[in-house]
Amino acid sequence: MQISPGLIVIVIAVALLVWIVASFNGLVALRNRVRNAWAEIDVQLKRRHDLIPNLVESVRAYMQHERSVFESVAQARAQAVAAGGDVLQRSAAESMLTAALGRLFATVENYPQLRAVENVQLLQEQLTSTENRIAFARQFYNDEVMKYNTRQSTFPRNLFAGLMGFSQAVMFTALDEDRANMQVKVQST
Amino acid sequence: MSESARVSVAGQRYLPRDRESFLDAQQRNRRATWRISVLCVIAAVTMGVPLALIITPLLYGVVLIGADVINYFSPLPQDFWQLASEFARLGKVALDAITQHQPADPLTLTLGLAVMLLPGILLAVVLWLGVDLLFKRSGVGGALLALNAREPNQNQLKELQLVDVVQEMAIAAGVRPPAVMLIDSPGANAAAIGSSASDARVVVSRRLLDDLRRDELEGVLAHLIASIGNGDLRIAFRITAVFETCGLLVAMVNSPFGPRSRSVLWRIIRYGLVGGGAKEAAAVADLLARNVGVETDDIDQFFDSGKRSRIRSIRNFIFFPIFFTNVAMKLCLWFFSTAVLGPSVALLWRTRQYLADASAVQLTRNPDGLANGLQKLNEEPGEIPGGDWASHLFVVSPKRSDHQVSAVPDKGHQHALAQAWAVASGQASTQADNMDFRTVQMQLASTFRAALAGDAQAIARLRAAYQAVSASDPALAAQIPNPDDFFGARQGDPAAIGRLRNVRRLARDTTSGQKKDAESSISSVSMLGFHPSVKRRLKRLARMGAHVDLTVQKSKAWIVVLVVSIIFAPLVLLLIALFLLLISMMTMASLVFLVIWLAVIHNVFLLVGHH
Repeated sequence: MQISPGLIVIVIAVALLVWIVASFNGLVALRNRVRNAWAEIDVQLKRRHDLIPNLVESVRAYMQHERSVFESVAQARAQAVAAGGDVLQRSAAESMLTAALGRLFATVENYPQLRAVENVQLLQEQLTSTENRIAFARQFYNDEVMKYNTRQSTFPRNLFAGLMGFSQAVMFTALDEDRANMQVKVQST
Repeated sequence: MSESARVSVAGQRYLPRDRESFLDAQQRNRRATWRISVLCVIAAVTMGVPLALIITPLLYGVVLIGADVINYFSPLPQDFWQLASEFARLGKVALDAITQHQPADPLTLTLGLAVMLLPGILLAVVLWLGVDLLFKRSGVGGALLALNAREPNQNQLKELQLVDVVQEMAIAAGVRPPAVMLIDSPGANAAAIGSSASDARVVVSRRLLDDLRRDELEGVLAHLIASIGNGDLRIAFRITAVFETCGLLVAMVNSPFGPRSRSVLWRIIRYGLVGGGAKEAAAVADLLARNVGVETDDIDQFFDSGKRSRIRSIRNFIFFPIFFTNVAMKLCLWFFSTAVLGPSVALLWRTRQYLADASAVQLTRNPDGLANGLQKLNEEPGEIPGGDWASHLFVVSPKRSDHQVSAVPDKGHQHALAQAWAVASGQASTQADNMDFRTVQMQLASTFRAALAGDAQAIARLRAAYQAVSASDPALAAQIPNPDDFFGARQGDPAAIGRLRNVRRLARDTTSGQKKDAESSISSVSMLGFHPSVKRRLKRLARMGAHVDLTVQKSKAWIVVLVVSIIFAPLVLLLIALFLLLISMMTMASLVFLVIWLAVIHNVFLLVGHH
């Protein structure tokens, strides 16, 4: 049987087309995962915004002298709620809130009778968990962003990913203040 | 974090060149999964070929007898009988080619082999899919009932923490959070159960919450949720279905011989048709898994029954050929599932556990949490009552009975123990009647821990309880260890150690009767355990950055192992060869007897049908 050059060209073209469709679909799936991960961070941030007033109410009575801490928490919360959809702005405002909450927790540690109240313990656990959830949601988001960006920027997909409307996603990064905190933690262990 | 003292930084550390990132570890284990899956398929095929050789003739026999009966009332077309004789010819060619090395052309040989093997293989696969489907439908409710699981109480700090940690880990893994259930058992352990990721449950014993810190809890739950996310539940379910299918096959060939197998068969048919709730599903699955093995109860009963009536001897004569088939099949199933399929499946499952460990490190980015959690769990007995059927799903093996005697005593002894405990803790003895034995066990365990840590009050309570027991029931007192001996043994008193050993032996002897019945999990089918050793897991975690003190004892143990294996390897090989020979002889005998039997029946029908 004779294999005509035309047939070869057709086979190669079909294979190429299949590959392009497959990688396009793969990129779309990854992009959706990134969006989904971002939405998860949003859910958890919202949860934190909702929990904060409760916590503040339950501890305020015991800590009359610590007005500045409460104010900074309230202010940071207001800013975080007001921050728009921009990733960089959002992450800056939320990092401020994390820092303010960290100060509040540190202050609670100074009131042993407060730590013993069961209700406060439960609330504190909820907030600790929310902090963790945000951190894990961020971690998941960043992992997904890394996968998505790597897929886009590796050869040969980088040749046409931009043409098909894919762009690099932005990671949720820690602020300088956070980094400073992290360093202290690393040294203490 | 003052408690982190157990993390020994001075221990053996891995050099940077030995380190492995969790992503690399995951990739390595994923690749290993593929390799071992191939091994499992090969093992299944090796088991399937002799099995098919045994089942297929039986199937043909059933079809032939059925055809003869139909033919008696309304004659079947001639084409059918021609096809049957053609099948028989092809089968004979294949058999001759194999047993007597007679040359045959490749096409006929392939056709002959297909005729001999395909129907049996098809039946096994269909049964497997059926069992898989049947139990998938029933979900995990029965398992939860068997474990006596309950919902966590979110107003309690520890239990709220558990719910939170599960949510956190699910977010980190990007999966839907599984439901959490608690078991109030004295052992510390946790498991992910379910038939797939969509109906997964995480089951945690309450004791685990008391024993582990938050970061350790995170590590352990990350392992479970990573395992769910990796799709391990589906794999485990398929594996279980394979062993259940084996049990079903045994029940089927046993059914002419005994009432027990018939009742098992009847129950599964009724369950398949009518359904019957989650509890029934769990009970049926348990019966099937228990069926793999060379049990001869039914057959012994069949042949050795004292009365020798004429009907009975005729029946014996009729079923005699099936008896060979039955024995051949059981031997084949038992040998291949313990020595071939079981170990390869166990290897596969171990790889999945390593993979889940590596994924857990990715989720928490804290290898120390999981490493410390595993270490703690390994130190304590992790037995979960009602969890035997699924011991492979637990994070560490629940079977470590050599650590401590924790067998559950019988009802009368339970009552005596509860009474004594109530006396020792200063409650009125009427209260003891209302006390659940599990609570007593939990309290005993926690007091015991406090006593070992040096709490004088706890020691006094233990002593008082022991005295109360020995006053009311000396026989029971001989079975439980004297707390004073424990403290003596810790100081190195040889007499105390000896007494403790005696107590342990006695307790083991009295409970060994119950133990045999409890061994029903699929992991008891295999020679090789389904859990990798905690030491090996810790070693891998250390390579991912955990600070574990791996004090490697550089003993000459490997030389002993080498010498022993050199001596015993030929013996073991000989044994395996003998076993294979026995199986093939039995298979041949079953084939020959079946053929003779069928020929007789067929000729009887021909004679009857002709006039």
